[in-house]
Order: sequence, then structure tokens, then C-alpha cells
Amino acid sequence: MLNEVVIKTENLTKIFEEGKKREVVALREVDLEIKRGEVFGLIGPNGAGKTTLIRILVGLLTPTKGKAWVLGKNVEEDIAHIRERVTLLPQEAGIYERLTARENLVYYGGLYGIPEKELNRRADELLEIVKLKEKEHYQVKGFSGGMKRKVLVARALIIQPEIVFMDEPTTGVDTIGARVVRNLLKKLSEEENRTIILTTHDLNEVSELCDRVGILNNGELVAIGKPNELEEKYKAANLEEVFTGLITGEGVYES
Amino acid sequence: MDTPKIKLDSKTYWMLKKEIKSVLRSRWLLLGFIISPMFAWLFQGAFLSFIVAQTTEEPEAVYITVEDDGAIGPALFDALNASKEQLLIDPLIPVDKDYGQNLVDNKTVSVWVLIPENFTYEYMVNNESTMVMWVNTGNFRATAAAQRVDMFVKQNLQIIVKDVQVNWYTISPEATYGHQLAIFLVMLTSVLAPAPYVSKSFAGERERHTLEALLVVPMSRLKILGSKLVAGLLLTMIYSIFTIVGILSYNLSIILRAAALPAAAEDYYINLYTIDVATLPLIFFCQFLVLLCAIGIGVVISCLAKDQATAESINNLVLLVPTMVIGILGFTGSILQYGGLFGFAILLIPFSHAIMFLNGVLSGVATPTMLIGNVAYLLAFTIAFLIIGAKAFEREAIIA
Repeated sequence: MLNEVVIKTENLTKIFEEGKKREVVALREVDLEIKRGEVFGLIGPNGAGKTTLIRILVGLLTPTKGKAWVLGKNVEEDIAHIRERVTLLPQEAGIYERLTARENLVYYGGLYGIPEKELNRRADELLEIVKLKEKEHYQVKGFSGGMKRKVLVARALIIQPEIVFMDEPTTGVDTIGARVVRNLLKKLSEEENRTIILTTHDLNEVSELCDRVGILNNGELVAIGKPNELEEKYKAANLEEVFTGLITGEGVYES
Repeated sequence: MDTPKIKLDSKTYWMLKKEIKSVLRSRWLLLGFIISPMFAWLFQGAFLSFIVAQTTEEPEAVYITVEDDGAIGPALFDALNASKEQLLIDPLIPVDKDYGQNLVDNKTVSVWVLIPENFTYEYMVNNESTMVMWVNTGNFRATAAAQRVDMFVKQNLQIIVKDVQVNWYTISPEATYGHQLAIFLVMLTSVLAPAPYVSKSFAGERERHTLEALLVVPMSRLKILGSKLVAGLLLTMIYSIFTIVGILSYNLSIILRAAALPAAAEDYYINLYTIDVATLPLIFFCQFLVLLCAIGIGVVISCLAKDQATAESINNLVLLVPTMVIGILGFTGSILQYGGLFGFAILLIPFSHAIMFLNGVLSGVATPTMLIGNVAYLLAFTIAFLIIGAKAFEREAIIA
């Protein structure tokens, strides 16, 4: 199923408080296609619409206009089936502090109907990968921000999803921890053909990890492509220059 | 978007298990749920034991006016005076009618006995005579003293063909305490008890951002909400069970306190103050409904509040104020004593119906229609709030 489109949006628009004084257009007519096995980076300044886009794709928000399909299913009509096969790592902490690292993983996996024995096997494997095996029976409330983030990454992966939505997966994680997470995501994409959609503010991470990148600004998808293609297109030395130029409107010129 | 049907599949069972575990891990919350009802009823037991002591061991001042121009009135006074110690009257103070009336008007009388001027005549000619007593029924010692005087007069003057009436007048009709204290305390604690759990479970999850990850699992929101409610219900069951334990402890405290009294007095106080064990299922049921209703209201508030602290504060305010109002009204008489718009507003509060239900059950005067009516209102209110809560939980703004 190479080149199979697993995420597609057409004219996707999200307006909060529509028709009211506090109306906010979070997404404007976004057209997007993401293929199976791709690592797709969504970048943009704060409030650009990255989280809103992800939330629509996992069915937490409904689009105001346009349509979105995940794994061939319309998010507004068949979200139950989509949710069986995708996972979300939220932007904010989102962890049960009073549970241990292992309990966090096993509890979440159980909500997908995975048998306990299998969950324990996967938890062993994932905790080993994210280097938290020694701390597996400690309550998460004593963990550092980075350790919590690693637990969340492992938790998101325990259900072995076809698509992983990660909202800033390495935020707060130390350099070595971030490297561990990146390697894990690479492995998932390259060896297991899983699709990863991640938002981040770390453009080096995007350059290193992502096959393609989409730049959102004020809810609009202003650029999409492979990092090197974008650099070429906008005559920039690196992705940071492309990003800064597109957001501020200075210093980049479309070739 | 979500399938609105609840079926206990493995995922729902898993979630339920986790929610229950989470409830059982909250040791302080559990301790509160055990201690609150126990404390309320033990406090009630201590309160009534104090009353028993006041009414069986401590003497009371009794004012008496003998206006009777015949022989029986003065003889009755002499008999009362001679039996002062036995009747726990100290002192017995003879006063004229104006003085007695003045005490009544100033509400400073404990017991004033008035033997009217034609007492002997009525007794001899019509075989029936009436003595009058003014009693401060808000004072347990005074009420008990009046009861002893009443009994003494009837024992001494009631013979086969002759009758004596004692007309009681109270100077404080609103002061009828009964079991109101515990009902008030239990009601107050039970409406507030689920607030920490409900706030933590909805607003708290949102604040800690765990709700977002939870809402993307392949379970309908209705099932997630249902699991949380069932865990909340488990807490309410713990509370209700310990209410029953509290009532039994309360009964025991009354029985132990009355054990030292003469047999007749012991029976009297035990019958007066203990709660009929046969009514416990009804009390349990009512308590359960109150807690369920409080959870329903809490869910709505918690789904709309921006964080856990706000949810808890609003929840406490919304539940505390009406409960205090009806609790105080119930404590000082009856919640039905006011009419008009205020009386109607009182009846709109669901917990008013729980108090009416409990009062009816405890006093034994409730009719099935009345009980069913109260339960129906409480249940309807609860269901309405649970539906609103489910709608609030379904909104996309729940995670925004």
C-alpha cells in the first residue's frame, strides 16, 4: 500500500465562536494529503492552528467547513473506527500523576481493548526503549517534565497505532531523551511503516525527522513540501530561514 | 459523532476499574465519606443524651397560680409541693395570675401552671375540669417538667367518672427539634461530599489535560461519563453505608444513655429518640438519591467550569446555600411553614424533598403518596441534571 493517502483534508476550516464578537478563525481552507509511513511535521507560530488541525483529525473538534478523512474514513461520520487505529500525544502534560509509569501505559492500552498480558509485554518493551524501565513502578508525580514526556510517548505507542499524532513530543525533554524519542519515531516510520504527524517548534527536529513539512500561519497552510525542496523553493539556507521568512514576510523569495 | 449506547464491553469495564481504583486510592476522600455521616449521627446522639440528662436529672422552676376557690386546687398545690423532689421541681413558685401572664408575655417562663377559679366546681359538678399550663417547649427541661406535672395531676385526680384536662400552650411553637439536627448535618455533608470527586474527575481532568487523551480513545463519551458516574456512585454507597452505621451507633448511644433511667423512663426515651431500624432502607435510599442528585449538579458545574478549583467553589456555593436555608428552616420547625413565593422556592430545591421524605419516615407520619411524590421530584431533578451534564460533556469546548 505504498503511497496510500492516510490523511486527507479538503477546504478544512474551523471557526470558533462563529458569528460572535470573539470569533476566531483557527483554520482556513486547508488542503492536505499525508501518505502512509510519512513523518509529517506541522510547524507554525503559537496560535497558527496546528493543535486545532490535529484535534479535528482525531475527532475532538468538528470542522466548520470542509472535510477530513483519516484512513479513508470521514472524521465526522466514522470517528469510532478511526480512533481504534490512531493515537494522540497531547501538547500539555496529560498524564495521570498518581499512577506509576507502567500503570499509565497499561491503563491507556486497556481502553483500546488490548489484553492485559499483551499490554504488559508492550509496556516492558516501550519502557526499555524510552529508558524508564528502572522507574516503571514509581508514581509519575515525582518525574521530571522530560521523563513525563517520555512516558507519554510510550503511552501513545502502546496501542501500536497506524497513525500517531504528536503535539510537541520532545518539548521539555533533555537532549539525550529527545534523541531517544526521535530515534523511536524514525524506527516506527521506517521499519513499521507507521505514519507520524508531529507539531514542534524545533526546526532542527523537523529537518532531521520529517519527510515533509507543512507551515501554518493564522490558520492558513502557507507552504508544504520536503524540507530541502522548501529551502530551494524559497532560496533559503535552511528551514528556519524559510519559516521566519514566511511568517514575517521578510527575506524569502519564491523561485 | 459518538454512538450513544452503553454496553459493558472490555474497554468500558477497564475504564470503570480504573475509575474505581482511583476513587479507592483517594484515602482522605474515603475517610471523609466515612467520618462525615458517623460524626453527624454521633453528634446527634451526644446532643440527645444531653437532653435526656437535662430532662431526667436536672430540676426545673415551675410557677403556679391557684385561683380555685374550692378545695381541690389548694390540695393539688400542696400535693405538688410535697412531691417536688420526685417531680424534679425546684423551686415551685406561687404567683398571682398577672405575674404569670407577664412571664408568658415576656417569654421568660419555663412552666406556669394555672389552676382556674372554678376548677373544684367543674370537677365536682360536671365531672370534668381543666388545668392550664404554659410551657417553653424550646427548653427540654421545662417540657419534661411539664410532662411530669401533667402526669402527676392526672394520676391524682382522674378517677372513673371524673376527668381532668391539662391544656398545654407553648411560648415557642417553632422549637421542635426532634431528629432535625442529624438530618441537617447529614444533608449538608452529603450534598457537599461528592464535590471533590466530581470536580477532580471532570474539571480536574481537563485542567491536567488528561481528558484530551481520554476523549480520543475508541469509547463513546457517554461510556466515559457513565464510568465516572458509576465510580462516583460507589463513593455515595460508601457514604450511605456509613450513614446507616452512624444511625445504629446513634441508636446505641441513646440506649446506653437511657439504660441508667427507671424502666418507664428508659422505654419512653428509647421510643422517643431512637430511629426505627425498619426505616433504614428508606433512609439509605433517600441518602443515595440526595448524593446522586448532588453528583448530577456537580457534573454540570464541573463540565462548565474552567478549572477544578472554580468547579469546587461553585459547586459548594450552589449546594451549600439552599441546603443551609432548608436545613435551618427544618431545624427551627418545618420547611413547609412558609407559604407564598418563598415557600414555592423552597419546594423547588430538590433537597427540600429529601428532608420532607426523611422527616416523614423518621416521624412515621409519611403517606406512600407523599414519599413517592418526594422521590419522584428528586429523581426527576437528578435525571434532568445528568442529561444536561451529558450534553455539557459532549461539547467540544470541554477540551478547549
